[in-house]
Amino acid sequence: MRTGLMLLLVLGGFALQGVSYFFLAAPWGFPPSGVEHSNPRVPFAAAFFILGVGLVFLGAVVYELLPERGEG
Amino acid sequence: MTARGEASRFETLPYGVGRLTGGWALLVVALLALVGWGAYAYSCQFVEGKVVTGMRNIGTMGGATWGLYIAFNVYFAGVACAGITVAALIRLLNLNALRAVARMAELLTVITLILGAFSVLADLGQPLRALINLPLYARPQSPFFGTFTLAIAGFLFDSLVYLYLAGRRDAYLMARYDTPLRPLYRAWAAGYRDTPAERERHRKTTFWLAIAIIPLFITAHSTLGLVFGLQVGRPGWYSALQTPAFVVLAGVSGVGLLLVIAAILRGYLREEQRLGTGVFRWLGAFLLVLTLAYLYFVVVKVLTGFYAGHHHEQQLTQLLLWGAYAPVFWGSVLLLALPAGLLLLQAITGRWNIPALVACGVMVNLAAIGKRYLIVVPSQTHMSLLPYGPGFYAPTWVEYSIIVGLFALGALLYALFVKVFPIMDVPEEGVR
Repeated sequence: MRTGLMLLLVLGGFALQGVSYFFLAAPWGFPPSGVEHSNPRVPFAAAFFILGVGLVFLGAVVYELLPERGEG
Repeated sequence: MTARGEASRFETLPYGVGRLTGGWALLVVALLALVGWGAYAYSCQFVEGKVVTGMRNIGTMGGATWGLYIAFNVYFAGVACAGITVAALIRLLNLNALRAVARMAELLTVITLILGAFSVLADLGQPLRALINLPLYARPQSPFFGTFTLAIAGFLFDSLVYLYLAGRRDAYLMARYDTPLRPLYRAWAAGYRDTPAERERHRKTTFWLAIAIIPLFITAHSTLGLVFGLQVGRPGWYSALQTPAFVVLAGVSGVGLLLVIAAILRGYLREEQRLGTGVFRWLGAFLLVLTLAYLYFVVVKVLTGFYAGHHHEQQLTQLLLWGAYAPVFWGSVLLLALPAGLLLLQAITGRWNIPALVACGVMVNLAAIGKRYLIVVPSQTHMSLLPYGPGFYAPTWVEYSIIVGLFALGALLYALFVKVFPIMDVPEEGVR
């Protein structure tokens, strides 16, 4: 349960970073300064990326704090 | 219970936790006064606008749009990154000799990240608007995102997680004492009982956290270097060396400041045993290597800029070597070279002297501040590729006061933490 939740947070966090970077934020392209390559495709894409970083590290807190089955 | 009774309950706590001495109270009052002064200066800037600072537009107004605040943002971010890296390396490489300074480094990171965030906010005319627009529109591909958003938001969270988890064992041990702080320690320990299984789990978590934190530090601080290093139209900034030099100078300032803090706490807590010469020898050796590496970068940068640089680069190098910025440049070089010599001497003789190491820590930090100022300002005032004349930037009392207020805030947070939570690992023997 504990390990599963930790893995979910870590993998979910990395997935959220990847999705927000490649699919929600402004697309890669030339010229990078163009409007179409500057505005995010979804508002708060950057905040989702940061949330992803946070979730990965939250996995460590969950791993340490949640008792393993039978530990009480 | 009487005040005397309350005080006596704190007498048994390790590292002076809970014992409020007259000297400590005086320090807190002085720091609060400085924080208040800084807040007053900021209120002047907020009400009257940035015209009260020395910053002006580049070119048309002959000034610099980034000044002291950004120079200190870079400085604080550097100290923060180095602090958590030292803490991570101690736990990752099992450097038991340095274990006593691990929490000091973790706390230094958290506090300097907060100060870095405040320096950026001080630089903004409309900070509230920025707080909304940055998460709303920021572009993760941009180096600015990596610094002002990832470094400060992500890194602050990670450092807090690290500080929290690393402190659980001590919180558990501290909760054994019957003091008014017990509920806090119980909440921090969150059920930790120091069983072999929990220790093993903590060892694993710390290992992976350390593995994750070091690349994050390098990425975050490299992108800070790239904010400057990628600006092709700004001589002095556009350089491949900018990023590694940023990372190394971050190490210099962070390790230097950690040395100073460790020495102050050694004297204040009378912990000559735990904070013995071995701790300072390690930190001194780290500082020596990093300072020599940074001096090497300075020499290479000056040589390439002067010898084969584009003529604007050459002008900038001349400006640094014998122009308007020469006093800051040579002052910073001297404040790096002198400690490097002193540290080298101590390394060769094998006789490490703590006051000399503290002096080195102070000097390298002054040098780091000078170098951060030289990175930020001269390329704006003098090195436009457009046909503008040379500009000028001199910080005003408002900027100096805000920076002093920020330093005081950092020292205040540190002083408060030391009285609430043990600043070093609590040895189990002696704890009831």
